[in-house]
Amino acid sequence: MKLDTKRHYLFVLALAGTLSATAVSAANAEEAPKWVPGEPYPTELLKNYPCHDYELPCGKMNSPPVERVVFKGPLQGDAERGEKIAINLRWGNCIACHVLPNHDGGTIGPSLRQYAARQAPLDYTYQRLWDVRYYNPNAHMPVYGPNKVLTHQDIVDVMTYLYAGK
Amino acid sequence: MKNPRMILHLAMGVALTATTLGVAAEELLKFDYWPGRENAIPHVSGDEKFSDTYQYWKDEKAIEQAKKAGKKSHEMNFKDFRWAQKSFDAEPALEIGKGYYNQKNANGKSCASCHGENGKKLEGIYANYPSYNKRLKRVVTVGTQIQTCASERLGLDWPETSRENVLTDFYVASLSDGKVIKIDATKPGPIKKSYERGRDLFFKRAGHFDFACASCHTPPTAGSYLRGQRPTTFFGDAASYPIYHFPYALPGDDYEYVFTLQHQIKSCQMLSRMYPGKEGSPAMTDIEVFLKASANGYKMSIPGAEYNMDASYLD
Repeated sequence: MKLDTKRHYLFVLALAGTLSATAVSAANAEEAPKWVPGEPYPTELLKNYPCHDYELPCGKMNSPPVERVVFKGPLQGDAERGEKIAINLRWGNCIACHVLPNHDGGTIGPSLRQYAARQAPLDYTYQRLWDVRYYNPNAHMPVYGPNKVLTHQDIVDVMTYLYAGK
Repeated sequence: MKNPRMILHLAMGVALTATTLGVAAEELLKFDYWPGRENAIPHVSGDEKFSDTYQYWKDEKAIEQAKKAGKKSHEMNFKDFRWAQKSFDAEPALEIGKGYYNQKNANGKSCASCHGENGKKLEGIYANYPSYNKRLKRVVTVGTQIQTCASERLGLDWPETSRENVLTDFYVASLSDGKVIKIDATKPGPIKKSYERGRDLFFKRAGHFDFACASCHTPPTAGSYLRGQRPTTFFGDAASYPIYHFPYALPGDDYEYVFTLQHQIKSCQMLSRMYPGKEGSPAMTDIEVFLKASANGYKMSIPGAEYNMDASYLD
């Protein structure tokens, strides 16, 4: 795993700023389940997203707001890691709907082989992966960015794999 | 980090950031519902407005003709193998269910004491459930009804997630095999309201991925391959539930691979990372009413064979 230096930096700042608050949240963090990408998603955490129930607070939640993101490149991710994310059922799972470089997949989305030949701008691809609703509100694709299914680094790695793929 | 991403939380109105970067502010758009909600009607022929495949699977004859004409499974909305074929593998599970139906409590009473030998008085009722229970003042699934009956009449604890409840449910459903489904969701009343709430839940976006049930169960996803799965439209399928779902089972269950519609909804929720509902809860019951009414006019087929072992679609 690569270290997200920016995140790390922010975390250090927060730690210095609110020592007491950090101590409390650290204690909570031990009890609260945490999702490890590639592992099953803890059921309890799903209450943080809209659900089908009339009593629970999640029953009254709405979709997260559409997020517009900007990515100018250059694209220098880890293609091998990107491939792992794309084919893992419990991570990116792109393969469920797309045919991918080196892999057969579903037929719901377009084939992503020879992706570079489409000459899609990096910014466009990044936005589609982060929050597809910006371009197509009815695209059947997870909102990877806003709901923290994938991180910035995950998406860059998947893009590196796609743009390099045959 | 060389390539910092800049997320503009447009909806939250981080106007300063947006202006600084010269990006025009955009309106907040909420996409809480998947499109198509207004086209849903409580009849199996409503599929015409969604997949345009109804003519290929509206009855046994149509399925046979479409297959003869060379229609592939996905061109038939994957309905070709969901109906009409019987599952012989499910017979043992039905026998167990019948056993529970006849199981006597300490006072020598069983379901059969009131409902008749071999479920005589329950024939056909499954095609009209979920139904409004006047005494409970709510719409109930058969599972809820069995739970209530068992506890009030027999003093047995058969919650909806119990083996006894699910397998009895399966047996009772088999007594309606061939009956045409009829859930009156057009007459003003609790069933109509339940149908409408269920429809809205079905089209509502939810969960970690922000999908709706309708995301998979309306075209273009319905009728396409989702990895190994074959999502279909929401019309007609309720006719073959409870279904013998070998080799699948929910974590921890002991129901001989029998899935009621409630378990199927829960399983779908878990697969698409939504917080799973509780079997028989008001919201889950509403979804079942919506699905069952979307099979109105279709014949029940219990025990139905769900899995298509025909792999010719790979050619």
